[in-house]
Amino acid sequence: MPKKNTSGNAYGLTLLCPIINGSKGDQSFAEILRDYLETLPIEDQSPMAKVPNTYLARFYILNDVFYEGFPIDEEHLKSKYLVLSSNFHGDRDTYVRGMWEADEADVKKIWQYCVAFDEVHTAEDFVEYVKKCQVDNNLFFNGSTDDSLAEQLKALYLKQEFTRFAYENRGLNAEELQKSFEKFVQRTQPSNLDGPSWSPGVPNEKLRPMTVISPSH
Amino acid sequence: MTTVLNLHDIQGNVIKTYARDQFSYARYVFFGIMDETPGRQFVLDLIPLITTAAPWGRPADDGEELKKPEVTTNIAFTYHGLKRLNLPEESLHSFPEAFSMGMRERHAILGDTGISAPKFWDPVWNNADERVDIWLSINGKDEEAIEKRYAQILKILADSNGGVIQLRGHQGDNGANDLPYQDAAALRDSEGKPTPKEHFGYTDGISNPFFEGTLTDPAYVLGAGKPTRKSPKSPSGWEPLETGEFILGHRDEAKELPKAPMPRPLSYNGSYLVYRKLHENVGSFNRYIEEQGKNLPDGAEQVAAKFSGRWRNGAPITTFPTKEDADKFYEKVKEAKEEVGKAEGKIKRRARSKYVKLVSELVGFNYNDDLAGSRCPLGAHVRRANPRGALEFGVKGAFDTPGALTNRRRLLRRGLPYGKSDGNSGDDGNHGIIFMAVCASIERQFEFVQQQWINYGNDFKVANEKDPLIGNHEADDGQWSGHMVFPAEPGSGKAPHFCSGIPRFVEVRGGGYFFLPSLTALRLIGKGMVDPT
Repeated sequence: MPKKNTSGNAYGLTLLCPIINGSKGDQSFAEILRDYLETLPIEDQSPMAKVPNTYLARFYILNDVFYEGFPIDEEHLKSKYLVLSSNFHGDRDTYVRGMWEADEADVKKIWQYCVAFDEVHTAEDFVEYVKKCQVDNNLFFNGSTDDSLAEQLKALYLKQEFTRFAYENRGLNAEELQKSFEKFVQRTQPSNLDGPSWSPGVPNEKLRPMTVISPSH
Repeated sequence: MTTVLNLHDIQGNVIKTYARDQFSYARYVFFGIMDETPGRQFVLDLIPLITTAAPWGRPADDGEELKKPEVTTNIAFTYHGLKRLNLPEESLHSFPEAFSMGMRERHAILGDTGISAPKFWDPVWNNADERVDIWLSINGKDEEAIEKRYAQILKILADSNGGVIQLRGHQGDNGANDLPYQDAAALRDSEGKPTPKEHFGYTDGISNPFFEGTLTDPAYVLGAGKPTRKSPKSPSGWEPLETGEFILGHRDEAKELPKAPMPRPLSYNGSYLVYRKLHENVGSFNRYIEEQGKNLPDGAEQVAAKFSGRWRNGAPITTFPTKEDADKFYEKVKEAKEEVGKAEGKIKRRARSKYVKLVSELVGFNYNDDLAGSRCPLGAHVRRANPRGALEFGVKGAFDTPGALTNRRRLLRRGLPYGKSDGNSGDDGNHGIIFMAVCASIERQFEFVQQQWINYGNDFKVANEKDPLIGNHEADDGQWSGHMVFPAEPGSGKAPHFCSGIPRFVEVRGGGYFFLPSLTALRLIGKGMVDPT
C-alpha cells in the first residue's frame, strides 16, 4: 500500500487551519486574511516560490461547506478555514521547515489569524502545528514528475535550450556542430543543478523567447 | 442548524433599517463609469467608507466594539456598471435576466405605464450616453453629516480624473430637473422631530421581514417572520424566514441555495436592491378620501384605513375596526412610551415590557378572523403586500404552511420620503417616497408582488382590482378606472361599499435594479480579480 499523501517522491499536503471567529475594526479576521492573500504577488514573486521544492501551491479561504439542498441536512462549519494545498518533492517536515526558513515573515502574516498559531514561534513549532491541521490528500498535480524541483527546472531549462540549439545550428557540418555543442554544454552545464536553470515560479512569458525562424530559412 | 452570518461582510443596508437607527436624512448619488481602471480604483477607494451589517455598540466576543457612526454609506451596481468594470463575460451571463435587463426594460411587467412610463422619468434615467452604473447611498443623523460624507466622496470622485462621472438629472423643488443627487428625509413633526409618516399621512415601514442570522432580538419575529399555525399574537405564531430569501449564498425557503452569479465569492453575502422614486399625488388622494368618506361613519379616515389596511396612525384595521378603537390604542401606546421615558430601574423594565406588548399589536395579527375582509378589505394595500397567510382563505391545512404562497415573495423595505407637500392640496411639486427593496430575486419577489399583487387582484379574489394606493390606475376617456370594494360583514344585512374612479395616487419617476455585493465581492471587483473559471 502506498504511503499516505505521497505519490512516489511527491508529497501532497493539504492543511485546513481554522480562522479565529473574530474581527478587527469592521473586518472579520477571515476577510482581512482573504484581502491579504489576494494582494500577494504571484509566480516568481510569490512567497511560495521561495520555498524549496514546491511544485504547485495554492491558498484559499473555505467559508463553509456547500449546501446541496433538500433533503440533505444543512450543515455549517464552526469557523472559516485557511486552506493550503501544496505539492512538493520530499518529506513533509523538511518541506514545512523549509517554508518557515525561506519566509518566516510571510508565514506569520498568513497564519496570524488562525487558531493556536500564536503558540508557533519556531520552525519545529510550525511542523507540529501543520501536523494538527493536516488532512489526507489523494490528488496530485499532474504536470510534474516526482523529482526534486531543482532537477525538474533544470530538465525543463535544458529541453528549451536544446530545442533552441537545434534550431540555431541547422545545416552546420559535423565539426562546426560539435564546436557549437561544446559551447552549448559549457553555457548550460547540464549536470550542475546550481548552474543556469529556470527559477521557481517563472511564468512562460518571462522565459527567454525562442527566435522565430521562418520555414524558408 | 442556525445560520451564522459574517455581518462584517454584508452591506449594512441589507440588515439595518437606517431610518430606525436615527439616520433620518439620506442622499442617493448615481455615477457613470467611463473607464475601467479608474472605475475599479473608485470602488477600492470607497470601500473604507462602506457601512457593514456588523452590530453597533454591542460588546463583541472577540474583536472590538463598533461605535454607531454619524453617517453610513452603501454602494450597488447596475448590470451596465458591472459591464463597464469589465467583469468577465461568464460572470455577467450568470446574472438573472431581470437584473441584466434593468427596471427600465421591465417597465411593462411592472405596470410603469402612462405617466409612469420611463420616458417621463427624471432625466438621470433617460440619458442613453451616460447610463446609471453605480448607486451610492448616504444616510446621516443630520444634514451636516451627509454633507461631510458627500464632500469626501466627491474628493474620491475627483481622483478618478473623469474615469467616473457623477450623473445629474434629478427633479427637485420649483421645477429643478438637473440636481446632482436625490435627497430624502423623514418627515418632521411640529417640533422638528423625525416621524415615520409619509406624505399621505400614513405611518410607514411598520412591518419588515425577520430572517435567520441577523443577531436581531428573536422577539422581533412576531408579525415579521413567516406564519405558523399558532396564534399570531405570540412569538410561536411566527418563525424566522430563511436567510436565502434576502442574502445570496444561503439556504432559502425552497431549501436550496438561491440562483446566484458566479463565481461564488462574487455573490456570497450579496443581494439585489430595487430603487424607485415614487411621486405621491397628495392633492388627489386627499380629495378622493374626503369625497368617499362622506358615505362612511368614520369619514375620510375610514377610506384611508380601508385603502391601506392600517389606520393612518398605524393601527391595523382588522384588529381595530373603528377610528375610536384605533385612536384609543394610539393613546395607550403614547402613554406607555411616556411611562418608559419617566420610569427608572425595575419600574422601567415593567413599563418597557408593557410598551413592547402593546406595540406588538401593530404586527402580531393575521386575517383569519376577517376572511371576508369586512374589516380589512381583501384588496387593501398591506393585505396585498404582506398577506400573512391570508391566501389560505381560511381553508384548514390548504397548504403545508399558511405562508406557502407568500414566504417567497417577501421584501426588505428600505427607504425614506423625499420633498415637502405644503398645504396637502396639490399633486404638483416634489414629494413622494424613495422606495427601496432588498431581495435575493428581483423577479420572484419584487416583480411578482408588483405585477400580481399590486397591479392585479386575482390572488386575493378581487379580480382586476389594483392596489388602491400604489396601483397604476388608468384613465379611460378622461375617467379614472381604479375601483375597490369594501366588503360588509357576511350576514349583517349591510351593503358593501364600492369605490370607483380611483385616480393614480402614485407615479413612478425613475428607478433601477442594482446588485449589492458583499465587502469581499467589492474588493474582488475593485481589484479586477473576479474569476469565474
